[in-house]
Amino acid sequence: MTSIGTGYDLSNSVFSPDGRNFQVEYAVKAVENGGTAIGIRCKDGVVLALEKLITSKLLKHGANKRIATVDRNMGVVSSGLLPDGRHFVSRARDEAAEWRRFYKAPIPTSALANRMGSYVQVYTLYSSVRPFGVTSIVGGWDPESELPVDGQVGSGPSVGAGGKTEGAQHGGPFLYMIEPSGLYWGYYGAATGKGRQSAKSELEKLDLAAGNLTLEEGVKEAARIIYVAHEDSKDKDFELEMTWVSSLDGPTKGRHEEVPKELREEAERLAKKALEGDDDETDDKMEE
Amino acid sequence: MASVFSGAPPMSGPGYSFKQTPTVASSGNREHSFYPYTDNGGSTLGISGADFTILAGDTRSTSGYNINTRYAPKLFKIGSEGPDGAGARIVLSVVGFAADGDALKERLDTIVKMYKYQHGKPMSVAACAQRLSHILYNKRFFPYYVHAILGGLDEEGRGALYSYDPVGSYEREQCRAAGAAASLIMPFLDNQVNLKNQYMPGSGVGHALEQRVPEPLPKKDVEELVRDAFTSAVERHIEVGDGLQMMIITKDGIQETFNKLKED
Amino acid sequence: MNHLPQAWGRPRDDVYGAYDSSHLQTSGPNQHTQSPVVTGTSVVAVKFKDGVVIAADNLASYGSLARFTDVKRLRRFNSQVVVGFGGDVSDMQYLDRLLNSLDIRENYSSASDSPLHAKNLHTYLSKVMYKRRSDFNPLWNHLLVAGLDGEQKPFLASADLLGTTFASSTLATGFGAHLAQPILRRTVPDEDSVQKVTKEQAVELVKECMKVLFYRDARSMDKYSIAVVTKEGVDLKEDEKLEKQSWAFAEGIRGYGTQIN
Repeated sequence: MTSIGTGYDLSNSVFSPDGRNFQVEYAVKAVENGGTAIGIRCKDGVVLALEKLITSKLLKHGANKRIATVDRNMGVVSSGLLPDGRHFVSRARDEAAEWRRFYKAPIPTSALANRMGSYVQVYTLYSSVRPFGVTSIVGGWDPESELPVDGQVGSGPSVGAGGKTEGAQHGGPFLYMIEPSGLYWGYYGAATGKGRQSAKSELEKLDLAAGNLTLEEGVKEAARIIYVAHEDSKDKDFELEMTWVSSLDGPTKGRHEEVPKELREEAERLAKKALEGDDDETDDKMEE
Repeated sequence: MASVFSGAPPMSGPGYSFKQTPTVASSGNREHSFYPYTDNGGSTLGISGADFTILAGDTRSTSGYNINTRYAPKLFKIGSEGPDGAGARIVLSVVGFAADGDALKERLDTIVKMYKYQHGKPMSVAACAQRLSHILYNKRFFPYYVHAILGGLDEEGRGALYSYDPVGSYEREQCRAAGAAASLIMPFLDNQVNLKNQYMPGSGVGHALEQRVPEPLPKKDVEELVRDAFTSAVERHIEVGDGLQMMIITKDGIQETFNKLKED
Repeated sequence: MNHLPQAWGRPRDDVYGAYDSSHLQTSGPNQHTQSPVVTGTSVVAVKFKDGVVIAADNLASYGSLARFTDVKRLRRFNSQVVVGFGGDVSDMQYLDRLLNSLDIRENYSSASDSPLHAKNLHTYLSKVMYKRRSDFNPLWNHLLVAGLDGEQKPFLASADLLGTTFASSTLATGFGAHLAQPILRRTVPDEDSVQKVTKEQAVELVKECMKVLFYRDARSMDKYSIAVVTKEGVDLKEDEKLEKQSWAFAEGIRGYGTQIN
């Protein structure tokens, strides 16, 4: 690494002569060691999935959830330094609450991603702080129908347009990924952490841009991709954590929730089967 | 709640008639028209004996001529170990403004609990009584609008009873009635417990008459006195009735009873 | 327009006289609610063996003016609690937002394994009300909290602008305390009789009360919301219309419009 010994990596507020901020790059290294986290934007919702590496046999199975809810309709999963991830979530919740106090309505996913991108970016500017050691994936469903504003008690005039544009499209599923630099993009499928490379190549195969994948298929794909991504660190135990958020008339009624146990177990069963299939294939090939 | 729905138009809003609509902004200071107290009626009483204390209160809660509910307890176990009141040795009764009564009860309860956690022994009734006085006195410029009576057993195991005014003045007494029917019950208690105006028959005439000397009454007699006091108060006071809650504190703990009163 | 930005958008002094800026308080005292402005009238509720029925009409009055006629005064908190609001509508909206943020925060910590039940919510709301009255800045409402308690048993309790609380098998706020309570208590006089009342009876009873209130309360209307809370969840209807009205009783009463004088 060219940065070592040059001194340009010691402070956050100093560029190297070739225009790099080494502290941010080190933060990315922290992310690269974390368990794989992915998000899939399906046509009727978003799935978030996490490979939660078991650090101790003394931890209770299924406890210590890592995917967090922000407001009611968004989820955050991150990879990297766990305490940084928790602070990120805490800030996201504050932003969502503040938005509500201001606008009396839930924060759109894009706005939250923007606010959090700005927040993370600030931690790359000053020598007194270090950047976030996490890359976070934010998934949410923005309400497609017009929700009442907080505290609304009536339904307004029953005749006339009431200031509304007819046929305007609102809401839908959204997915963003925010990196330690503060950089964020909207994605069809996002992956971060140790197994991101194989996860990304699996995500690319799904042709998510076409918008054909349903939420339930998305759940099964997400489980499979986490299992595929885990192949490289097979020696470590892990738990699969999955959450989803659907439209108002979908299975989660616009709320971000844990994927029901039955569905998750079914997805895991299929994921394991798919992996075994792969093994068989390779075995066959070897035999050939 | 009469003050919510007075039926009158909003003070600064339009009136019933256009003639009343204010044309100029009101000037000068406006008086606070919010009165933070109400009277929820009801009565309580306490009598202490040689080795017990009894506290009692009716369970009616009122707002003016309305009965809010027929069961709103005015007696609270203080410093218990759980939600069901186990392990308590002190009872507080409050009558007057019920919201203040509830707030006062919760403050005293946490204080007595904290005392036990910090000192490893239960608070004595005398200490609790003085602490309660301080709580009330501390809020003397915006008082808890309640008449409190505190009961328990003192360090020698005798019945202990303390009564308070809303700003914390207190004394230990044999008996005390408080609340709506206090003026009906107290003279009865004076006569029956402290034997006021009872003289030894044939002990003399005029000032030579010898006053009967009051002695601690047995528990059974006191229970009967309490019941009589309340059944009578129910007849003569509209804010008293529905149910009679009693708590009897002895060395074995607190025994709680409930009896029906007239619901008219 | 002149060169003084301070004067822009203001009535011209030469036409309207000096601008009365007395309402533009700069360093005056904080003003608290001294009286309600837009108000809702009664809320009525009754317990039955499997839950609670609660109702309130859809009117918000501005003094004697029937100002808003589609105001929803019952708020579903979750699958086992409904709060009914009487009194000031803006304070009700404030409480609504407060409950909203409470619900969101509650979901962060405890997921869904132990949701707040009616008793929890009543304790919370009564402390909010008591705090505000103690600050001389009351929330001008009378609330009924209806739902199920921690043991899944029917729960019904009230909290008002002074922080006074009480629970009963039947409750009614405002005019309902005078007109509906006696009717409700005829069927459900005490806690024991709750077990004998079915859901259908309770709904019928509450509808009857809403009708009597419409007959006699000048600040009421015939459109109302009604909610039934049971273990199966909340069944909230917000656009009900009073049925089977009979104004025969008004025939002989002066002032109901049948007589000229």
